[in-house]
Amino acid sequence: MEQNSIPSSKVERAMRFVKTGAQIGGNYIKHYSKKIVDPSLTKDQLHEDNATDVYNALSELKGSALKVAQMLSMEKNVLPRQYTNKFQMAQYSAPPLSGPLIVQTFVKSFGKSPQQLFDTFEMKASNAASIGQVHKATLGDKNLAVKIQYPGVAESIKSDLKIVKPIAFRLLDMNEKELDKYIKEVESKLIEETDYELEFKRSIEISNQCKQIPNLKFTNYYKEFSSTRVLTMDWLSGMHMEEFLKTNPSQEVRDSIGQAMWDFYDVQVHQLKAVHADPHPGNFLMNADGSLGVIDFGCVKEIPEDFYFNYFALLVPEIMKNEASIQYIMMQQQIINASDSSQAQKIITDAFVKMTNLLRTPFDFDVFDFGNNAYIDEIYALGEEVSKMDELKKSKEGRGSQHALYINRTYFGLYSMLNVLQAKIKTGVRDWRQPLIEFHLKRAN
Amino acid sequence: MKAELINKYIQYVLDHNQSPKSVYLFAKAADIEEKEFYKHFSSLQMLEAAIYKQWFTDAFSECTQSEPWQSYTTREKALAVFYTFIEHAKNHRSFAVYLKKRDLIKLPKWPTYLNELRNEFKVLMIPIVNEALDTKEVEARRFIDGKYIDALWGNFLFVLHFWLNDESPGFEKTDEAIERSINLAFDLMGKSPLDAALNFGKFLFQNR
Repeated sequence: MEQNSIPSSKVERAMRFVKTGAQIGGNYIKHYSKKIVDPSLTKDQLHEDNATDVYNALSELKGSALKVAQMLSMEKNVLPRQYTNKFQMAQYSAPPLSGPLIVQTFVKSFGKSPQQLFDTFEMKASNAASIGQVHKATLGDKNLAVKIQYPGVAESIKSDLKIVKPIAFRLLDMNEKELDKYIKEVESKLIEETDYELEFKRSIEISNQCKQIPNLKFTNYYKEFSSTRVLTMDWLSGMHMEEFLKTNPSQEVRDSIGQAMWDFYDVQVHQLKAVHADPHPGNFLMNADGSLGVIDFGCVKEIPEDFYFNYFALLVPEIMKNEASIQYIMMQQQIINASDSSQAQKIITDAFVKMTNLLRTPFDFDVFDFGNNAYIDEIYALGEEVSKMDELKKSKEGRGSQHALYINRTYFGLYSMLNVLQAKIKTGVRDWRQPLIEFHLKRAN
Repeated sequence: MKAELINKYIQYVLDHNQSPKSVYLFAKAADIEEKEFYKHFSSLQMLEAAIYKQWFTDAFSECTQSEPWQSYTTREKALAVFYTFIEHAKNHRSFAVYLKKRDLIKLPKWPTYLNELRNEFKVLMIPIVNEALDTKEVEARRFIDGKYIDALWGNFLFVLHFWLNDESPGFEKTDEAIERSINLAFDLMGKSPLDAALNFGKFLFQNR
């Protein structure tokens, strides 16, 4: 049984964190003692030491704590790029379920064992989903994927987050209010992910409304074989990104897949106002014919109307030319507060505008090449610069709306996946710009 | 008839929220003759003890008849038996909770109504322990391996006790308790660093 390798009890998990906390304390001591000898020493080495320890501890931990760390680290750029990439790829797998527990889960949900329900059912999991595992099954001529959730996941998320909080507080250099806001948002999303009935409902909504997008494939779900802890769907063909890239796909195939992915997000954000907020390579399957399969609708972020009009206005150059509009958006998004000095307001605004201009770059071209590493590196570098700004760090209040956490993560994930895929995407001007421009014009007058 | 008596007994307890004071009272309420009762059980205590045993026997035979049973490791067999037993007990949870409230389970002791269950548990589970010893899933240790069955019994009492107190929806926590405790039990019974340490100690002692 592989179960031994994952520290699963709360005490064990807590011990990991205590250990990490101690190591980080040690890193600080090391840093300050070195600094006595060499006053010119910067904190860079310290940050790197910390990042390494954090990464090691968290990658061993898995489960929801890893996910939280993933999100927060992406948001705050606390980890060097190599780690962030590794983090993104890491499949967060719950401990494997034993055969009898699988049977038990089925009996509880359907009153029948999987063997009675399907023609064939593979007891060995074919891969790990975010909070459970996937089994292959057949019924008639259909190949099915059956996702089964580990019992008590929702509970363990709550306790994990309680444990992770003080550490995150120390590591991420966030103030408490800000952190609370994020942790709450993260918790509610993670708990939603454990609700397979909700996932079932959402997947049907989203796939219905996205089916006109070329080269995008969705899977069929089976209500009669789904419950809160079991989700049955058609088995989608395709490979995960890493495997797929090893087959050396042509540029056209890469572009076609990348375009499907881009259009998928475009429709979700601007038409559905609800987005599959987990652009993680594990959630997509790629095919040699240039098609893209979408699996896992666990994490769906609904975008509130007022947030939409403020956030996405930043992607429209016509609006960003207007100082007053920028000022308004910054205030609305709580990126600057009325209590900030005018000097601090200016510095923060400038940095923010610089950052959005950079994030917006792909939208300014008709075709954008995400294979351009220099561009992605620039985003990382600027993110780091911003996160180290004293004006932001010293602030006692949280900055940035908590909705931005997911949306940033979504775009960040999307960009880095397209980067790995080395795809050229037709980004260009789309219809959704017009309502945004009108909204801000009307408001300004 | 035996099964019928058991059902009537459970019914009586649920209806009156107390166990019958005498065989006479029970027989009267159940509309049977006393001598019919004594054909099957010598006392009310014996009948009570037969109830849990019956659940276990049913659960065990359901397990062995299920499709994946043959392909299971012994660890999985133990898991399956525990899960299925709880599934059977669930049908009569109110009754089980009543008994728990009447005679508190104080681990590692057990109330008399579990006596028969314990015997049945040993009879049916010892072959599984032996199989585990054969397949080396658990380590043969002199003096200790004879106690493995008692360890499993202790584990069983723990799970039963846990379930009787469990208030989580769908008894999800009991599932976790089973999964984790059985895994721990088999890990402890399996080969561990302690064996190597003991071996080493023995070597040092013999080669001083």
